[in-house]
Amino acid sequence: MTGRGLIDAERRRFNAFALAPSLIVLFLIAGLPAIYLLVTSLTPFQLVNPGSATDFSSPLRNYRLLPGDPRFVNSLLVQAKLSFWGVLFQVLLGMLLALLLHTQSRVVEFARTFFLIPMVLPPIVVAVIWKLIYTPDISPIYYAASLLNFTMPALTSSVDFALTAIIIADTWEWMPFTFLMVLAALQTIPEEFSEAALVDGANRLQIFFYITLPFITPILVISAMFRLIDSVKAFPLVFLLTGGGPGSVTEVTNYYAYLLAFDFNEIGYSSAVTVVLLLLVVAVSFGVVWMGRRREAMA
Amino acid sequence: MKKESRTGSVSRRSLLQAGAGALSAAAFPMPAIAQTKPFAGVTLRGASFQHRFFTLLQNYIPEFEAQSGMKVDLQLSAFPVYNQQANLELSSGGSAFDFVNVTFILAARWVAAGLLANLDEFTSDPNLTPSDWNPKDFVEGAQVPYRDAKGATYGYSWEGGAMVMGVSRMDLMEKKGLKIPKTFAELQQVSAEINGTDGVNGLVGFQLHHWCLPPYIQGFGGNIFKNPPADIMPALNTPEAIQAVEYYANLLKNYAPRGVLTYTEDQARQSLLTGRSNIFIHSSSWITPTLLSDESKVKDTARVVRMPAGPVHDFPAANSQGLGIPKNAKNKKAAWEFIKWAVSPEISMRLVKEHGHSSVCRRSVIESEAYRKLNTVNGQDLGALYLEVLGLPAKGENYMAYRTVKEFPIVGDVLNKAFEQVATGQATAAVAMNAAQEQAVANMRRAGTAL
Repeated sequence: MTGRGLIDAERRRFNAFALAPSLIVLFLIAGLPAIYLLVTSLTPFQLVNPGSATDFSSPLRNYRLLPGDPRFVNSLLVQAKLSFWGVLFQVLLGMLLALLLHTQSRVVEFARTFFLIPMVLPPIVVAVIWKLIYTPDISPIYYAASLLNFTMPALTSSVDFALTAIIIADTWEWMPFTFLMVLAALQTIPEEFSEAALVDGANRLQIFFYITLPFITPILVISAMFRLIDSVKAFPLVFLLTGGGPGSVTEVTNYYAYLLAFDFNEIGYSSAVTVVLLLLVVAVSFGVVWMGRRREAMA
Repeated sequence: MKKESRTGSVSRRSLLQAGAGALSAAAFPMPAIAQTKPFAGVTLRGASFQHRFFTLLQNYIPEFEAQSGMKVDLQLSAFPVYNQQANLELSSGGSAFDFVNVTFILAARWVAAGLLANLDEFTSDPNLTPSDWNPKDFVEGAQVPYRDAKGATYGYSWEGGAMVMGVSRMDLMEKKGLKIPKTFAELQQVSAEINGTDGVNGLVGFQLHHWCLPPYIQGFGGNIFKNPPADIMPALNTPEAIQAVEYYANLLKNYAPRGVLTYTEDQARQSLLTGRSNIFIHSSSWITPTLLSDESKVKDTARVVRMPAGPVHDFPAANSQGLGIPKNAKNKKAAWEFIKWAVSPEISMRLVKEHGHSSVCRRSVIESEAYRKLNTVNGQDLGALYLEVLGLPAKGENYMAYRTVKEFPIVGDVLNKAFEQVATGQATAAVAMNAAQEQAVANMRRAGTAL
């Protein structure tokens, strides 16, 4: 082996040695539970039947049952709807807000801080706030509507509005994330570009579409991807506002997995549902990583 | 001589002291707890969901600790949180708790899986349980969930839930010439007539449909299972069940407040107590405050009666909550001392007298003159009604057996979903209940139930 090769091998060994503690911790806190989840999903494990935890006689049984389970299939559709509309509104409104507040002023700076509040609230507090807003007996919105002689439907128990009600609450909570990301991106755009465009006779709309938007597009995509992954965690809103109802209109996959595990004691089947959800999230995460690398390559 | 005299005087004094002691013990009996302290120094760990009973009991626990020398560490959580935690703890054979609440809907599952200690071993031992504690004093209907197929007891009830009907605006009904509804048809008629009058809703319910709905299914002649507990094939798509779902969905759709499908028990109770809804059918502890609570704005116009009957009969739901000992608990005998004390006649009576907490399960207390006096309001004997309803399942056919089947939570959830689909117009009753039947059977088979 040449001297150069020896140095490379030594460097690789050092890198591995330096990385080992982090990888071990990562394996312990993320890898092991995931492996346990996967192993459990191969059993018919039920809480009241402890022996079933080690029954691997039909390891793919749970996975074979999934496509024929209408609630599971429906929960994926509900999740897809919630994620699509939620992320779309969060990205659009967050971007609009960032564009509006991208100016230098003390009032605007205060407003920026104000708009971040929903994002830093604990999710259960957000759910309680919206529970109060959506409860006809005590909601100021319903009271105002009654003063105007307008009868509003009960949003969280209406087939037509229940999912929309959750999307609105989710958007309120997470729009500040996109707002913050886009605002940061806007602040990195050199002002010379806009000034040059203005000199060339471009109007505000043209500046937005030909200068601003290309600059912030990668951030919008990354924000959307992060929010897409995070939208799977809309559990407190569903749990507190609708309980998955009416019927199964707002029953997302993680809520269904929760019911299976803790109401029906079907830990094995619930694990299989969770593994499928995990795979979907991992696929989206790979998408985020791939886009990040692509952006770096383009830079 | 001196010695004799001293001995004689001491002896007389001792006798007098002993006599005084015996008299005071007879006048102020201590709750059934051994006067020695064999468990001194033990820390008892127990868990339950938050309930007024435990909030009140915590006032008395220092007395128990002083008498027994034990420390009681009682963990109270929200209902679903407790159930999940206890389910995990018991199922995994844990020994974190010395006593637990045996939640009604989980009782059958826990008893059948052998997760609880057999309490007959304690009650049958005179060294552990004095005869005046009397396990037969508990209302029979409240004890049914805590027995296995052989009749062994795994819990003693601290709370009884007897479904009754609360009417808040009798004044409005009288104005319209309406009487208290005694049949399903009359219930519909009264709800229709009152709804909208003076801003009052015809009736109110809450989101636990698999508790509120079964009395209607049974009233029309159906059931949740074919013949529980012997035959647990779901019976959700029988003509009677479909008719009941349609009937109850129409009641809520047409005469209940907006958003009633997501109402909690508290919201429904408030609606009744403030007179915003005229009728609420639920466990007595939620309904009787219309007459007993200071919060009630309808004390003068409220009535509490038995729920209406269907074409077959009335089947008011009854349930209970009990205290039990996990099979692997570390301090079983000490835990039994606590349970014995917590559900003793003395503590039950104090809860009634000192806090107006009337949903106790000791028959001797419920039938006492003191209880009757405290719970007779506007000429209505609430205690008698409570006892009557609570005892119904134990008379003849146990119509509450459906709820003690360990597979009930699976079927109950399916029933909840189907009912909401009907009440929100997503499906007709027949379509929803046929799908529910199919789903319930599939879910039970998936969970390993042989049908």
